[in-house]
Formats: sequence, structure tokens, C-alpha cells
Amino acid sequence: MLRLPPFNNSTIPPHPRRQIAGAGLALIVTLGLVGALLAILAAGGVGTAPHGGAILALVGLTTLQAGLSTLVSIAVGMALAWALNRLRFFGRGVVIALLSAAIVTPGIVVAFGLISVWGRAGFIADALTALTGTRPDFSIFGLGGIIFAHTILDGAFAARVLLARLDALPPARLKLGQSLGLRAVERFLVLDWPALRGALPGLAAVIFLLAFTSFPIVLMLGGGPANQTIEVAIYAAVRLDFDLGRAVLLALVQIGFCALIVSVSALLRPASLPTAPSQPSRWRDSRPARLGAVLVLLGLGFALLSPLVAVLVEGIPALPVLLTRPTLAPALLASLAIASLSSLLAVALGLIAALARASATRPLVRLLLGAPLLGYLAVPAMVLALGAFLLVRNAGLDPERAAPFVLILANALLVLPFALATLGPPLDMLAQSRGRLLRSLRLSGTVQFFAVELPLIRADLALVLALGFCFSLGDLGIIALFGTDQFATLPLMMMRALGAYRSADAAALAALMLLISGTVFTVLPRLIAKVPDARA
Amino acid sequence: MLELDQVAFRYPGSARDYRLTLSAAPGEITAISGPSGSGKSTLFDLIAGFLTPRSGTITLNGQTLVPLTPEARPISILLQAEPLFEHLSVAANLALALPRIARAEQQRRLAAALAEVGLAKYQSRSASTLSGGEKQRAALARTLLLDRPVLLLDEPFSALDDTTRHAMRQLVADLTRRKGWITILISHHADDVRAIARHHYRLENGQLVAATTPD
Repeated sequence: MLRLPPFNNSTIPPHPRRQIAGAGLALIVTLGLVGALLAILAAGGVGTAPHGGAILALVGLTTLQAGLSTLVSIAVGMALAWALNRLRFFGRGVVIALLSAAIVTPGIVVAFGLISVWGRAGFIADALTALTGTRPDFSIFGLGGIIFAHTILDGAFAARVLLARLDALPPARLKLGQSLGLRAVERFLVLDWPALRGALPGLAAVIFLLAFTSFPIVLMLGGGPANQTIEVAIYAAVRLDFDLGRAVLLALVQIGFCALIVSVSALLRPASLPTAPSQPSRWRDSRPARLGAVLVLLGLGFALLSPLVAVLVEGIPALPVLLTRPTLAPALLASLAIASLSSLLAVALGLIAALARASATRPLVRLLLGAPLLGYLAVPAMVLALGAFLLVRNAGLDPERAAPFVLILANALLVLPFALATLGPPLDMLAQSRGRLLRSLRLSGTVQFFAVELPLIRADLALVLALGFCFSLGDLGIIALFGTDQFATLPLMMMRALGAYRSADAAALAALMLLISGTVFTVLPRLIAKVPDARA
Repeated sequence: MLELDQVAFRYPGSARDYRLTLSAAPGEITAISGPSGSGKSTLFDLIAGFLTPRSGTITLNGQTLVPLTPEARPISILLQAEPLFEHLSVAANLALALPRIARAEQQRRLAAALAEVGLAKYQSRSASTLSGGEKQRAALARTLLLDRPVLLLDEPFSALDDTTRHAMRQLVADLTRRKGWITILISHHADDVRAIARHHYRLENGQLVAATTPD
């Protein structure tokens, strides 16, 4: 009887070097995470820890605003998705692209835009004053303002996700519904709702996490301690009260809650749907239903987009003055450099992890290669910044000198879960569906990557790169701890301008960030898509 | 000659024992048929190297294949489902068979292979835009470029219409004869077997039974 040597005959191409690189990355990322957490734990006990009641109140408030933000965002997202699915009009593609771009709009810019429209001296108040002769007494600051701002970002995100599901409904199902003569309400309940329902739990968990860890919006629109969240309280403890013990305790509470939310959201993944959009349906709802869709689109479109338009209207005229400020060039260069390098780093690390996971067959190995990276979902930016700050300080380094490197690394790590979640599935699917063929062709890892995998994920790479750049450009959480008089980024410069009541400068900075984010998010994916495939 | 001699295999937890013996000659098509679940794909994976037998030998011209990984085996495969990478062009799909040669030479051989299967003008087409028959022909052009002595076909004609099916069968038969390939055709369609196979085995109860040899 023949004795057989052990060898790999899996239907997934084995690439040991990829797995070694992935394992190395997972180890380094784990050590970084553990190091930051240990530094936070070791620093505990210094200063005045808040009593349990205060922490509970903070958790309660954070949960309340995140819960309400989630509910409103989902409702708005669902209404917008429904309206956009039903209506065909010139510029529909632009509206959908704007919804996609909303997620990358810096929170500080959204908050500023809301104040410009709905603030005491905003456009709405001015218009009402002109109409009635008296200045209205309403405030955008407080819980309502926070929820409004979160809805602009997360409602648009929800609309994009839900619209994709509605647009992917099988044509045969629509034809059947049309032949049965379903009315608008029945069509929604029978056809749309089952498609939307599958996405809601996972989507809600993601939005809740985003709102729970929101920093700049709560800082700007909170209106004081009454509407503080854990994230803002950590910042206040470190930068304003110099109370490290309090910051550490709050950071641990924050990590605990985020880990819980991430665990729940992992269980609530959206059910899969066809990925390709179906042909546009010619099935038109009744006239009243279409009128309703138009009203929903106009009303919500105005509510979501007017703050961003206000930022441009108010900020662009102030740009020439801003350009004369000597602090602009260093902050702009720092922001662009940090955003570029951190997004490139996130893409590189995400790619290493995704390729390693795609070549691993054992579930445990796949888990070990991916879990440490996804672990950063449970670590909010402020907590990561605090850990990095403590690590740098404990190592005897000058935080000011280390700041650019920490910012690049921390921003890259925060984008890493998204990078892995975006790049992983297509590579996994390729390995599983074409594994036999890939092995049979005897491709080296390099040839397989450049000839087969890169063309497949080029658009995803561009998306991760653009999103990573925009997230990093708008980050206020990490720079808030590391920024100094000599080292600032655009968001920090804007916060300082607001603090010094230089509102024209703040408006110009908001417009500048919005323009850069919008340009990068729109242009970068198109540029990368146009890079010719060398082998095609 | 490709020979399987008392190749034994059993899936974990399964009661069925496979014990397979087969002999296939160059320039001829050997068909394997059997109902769904009879183990046709298992046989495919054993020959291609995606499954390891518990005992027995698989040899090609006297050289054992068993210790070789799937990519090290001198075997081309053509699958019914997903024969191409759909996100690539036809040319990019075929170029995978010639990764380390000069671009001009690659283009020349690629064009010749496509012409041979009747897809001369399809180089720049995206694989996703091809019909089922065109995909199979493009995949066959790739096996031409690989030019390995054994060709394993797993239900290659199942999704094709009658006209395309007939043309593909003749193409496979013609190439097998001209190139001297050892072609193993796995199919549950009696028509395919009758039309082009020189030898025919049926899989029954985990064993290969010689069926009537078509004329």
C-alpha cells in the first residue's frame, strides 16, 4: 500500500507567504491594541474617577442620543430609498452619488453647516425674521441638533444601503406584483419590506456604533455638559481637566460598550441579495404615491443637503482671506500628508489581511487573521488616541514629535476594519469559486495578484483609498489629543477658529474640507478605474 | 497512458467506499457517466489532485501523480460552471496560461489559439459578455495554450444549446485527436458520451464499470 506524504490539495490556492504576512500583521496589530489598552489600564487610578452615578448618566445619555439617531436615520433612509426607487428623473445618479458621499463628510463640517442653516443667526432664522419682524427663538444646540447632524450623515448612508436592496429586487418579482395590480402600500409591504427588513438590524447596529462614538458633532452641538457623551467626556478629562484617571475609566467603559455593540452587529449581518442592480422597472405607482415620493425627496433632500450647501455658500467667499493666514499652509499640508499616507497604509494593510484570509481554508486561521483587525471597531478614535498618547509618553518620546506618526498609524488602523470588510469578500469569493482553476493554471502569487485579483478589486481599492483619505482628513478625535500650537490639521484649525470667534475662517475651512473630501471621493475612484489593465 | 489502479477513497462520515480502476489512452476520449451523486466529481477531484486517495496509484506514463499538488499535475481542467474569470477580458483570461513569455509572442500564440476555437475576434471582449458556448470555447483555447497531456472535462456541454453543443463536442474530439491528449469527459448526458467517447465507464456503487464502447 502506498504511503502518502502530507500535502495541500485544497481547492483554494494556498499561498504560504501571504499567510505568513497576514499572521505577522495580525500579531503586530494585536500587540498595538493590547499595548494601548495596557497603557490605559496602567494609567488608571491617577486623578479623580467619577462615581458610578455619573458614569451611568453619561452612558444613558450616550445611548439615548445614539438610539434616537439610529431610529431617525433609519426612518429617513428608508423614506429616501423608497422615493428614489420609485422616481426616475434627470440627475437621479447625482443624488445617489451625493448620498454615498455624505458618509465621508467630516462631522465638524456637518455641524457647522447645521448651525449656518438652523442656528440663531442662520439662514432659516434670518428668513423668518425678515418675514415676521421678530427673531425666532429656537436652538440647534442640544439633543435635537446632535440627532439632526447624525441623520444627515447616517440617514444618507442608510438610504444608499437600502436603495441598493430595492434596486436589486428581481425583475420577475416586480412583474408578478405589477400583474397582480398591487397598490403602492401593498407593493411596499409585499415586495419592498421583505427586502429592506433583512438589512435593518445590521444597518441599525452600524449607525448606533457611529452615533455612540461620535465626537465632533457632539462637541460642537452638544451645548454643554447636559448633552455630553463618553467620547467628549474623555476629551474633556484629558485636554480640559487634565484628569487622566477619569479619562482612563471612561475609556474602559467606552470599549466595553463598543465591544458589545460590535458583537451584536456581527450577529446581525444583512441577509444577502443579488449584487447586480436589476433593470429599471417600468412599474409606476399611483399618482398620489408618486407625489408623496416627490415630496419626501424634496423635503428630506433639502433637510440633508441644505447644511452642506450652506457651508459652501458661506465658506467659499471667505476662502481668499483664509489663504492669507500663515497657519493655513502647514495645516493643509499636514492634513493632506496624513490623509494620503494613512489611507495608503490602510489599503496596504487591508490588502495583506484580505489576501491572507482568502488563501486560508481553516476557519480558525481565518478568524485569527481577521479578528485582531476587526477589533479596532470596538476601539473608538478617542480611546485609541488616548492609548497612543500614553504609550508615547511612557516611552519617553515627545508627543509633539510623535504626533504625525501616531496620527497616520491611528487613522489607518481605524479604517482597517472597513478595508478588510470591503476587500475581503471579493477575494474570498474568487478563491472559493475559481480555486480549482487558479491552482490548475499554476500561477505564482505575484501573477495571480496582478493578473486576476487586482483587476477584480481595483474599484474596491479605490473606494477604500478615498474613504480612508476622507475619514482621516476630517478626523478631530485623534488630533484633538495630539495637536499643539505648532502642529495642527484643518479640523483642529477650524475648531480653534470657532473658539476664537473667527467664524469667517471657520466657514472657509469647512468649505475647503468639504471641497477636498468631495473631490477626492468623486475623482479618485474614477482615476483608478481608468488605469489600464496591463494584461487586458 | 493515464491509469488509476485500485484508487481507494472515502469521505469522512460517509459509508460509501470508492475503489476506482481506469485506463485512458492518448488521442482518445474516455467518458465517465453515472447518475447525480454517483461520485463523478469525486473522480474528477482525485485525478486533478483536489482529493487524496487512501490507497492505490494514479500514474501518467508510469509516473505517479499522487504526491503531486494540483498545480504540479500535467492536467488541464475545463469546468461547466465558471470556466473563465468573468471580470477579465478574453485575452487576459488566456494570457494566464502564458505568464512568462514576451508580450509579442504571447499575443501571437493567443491569437492562434482563439482562431483555432473560432473566436478570432474576441480578444478584447469581456468574458462576462460571452455566451455559454463562447465561454467554453475560450476556456478550451486556454487549454490549448497550456498544452498539457491530460484534459479533464467536467460536464462541459451541459449548459449549451444543441447546435453549440454539437460544435463543442466536435472541437474537443478534433483537438484530442490532433494534440494526442488523454481526455477524460465526465458527463451524465448519454448523447455526449455516444458522440465522441472512445471508451465509456459508468460509476456504480463507488466502482468504475466498463460500459459498451461506442463505435
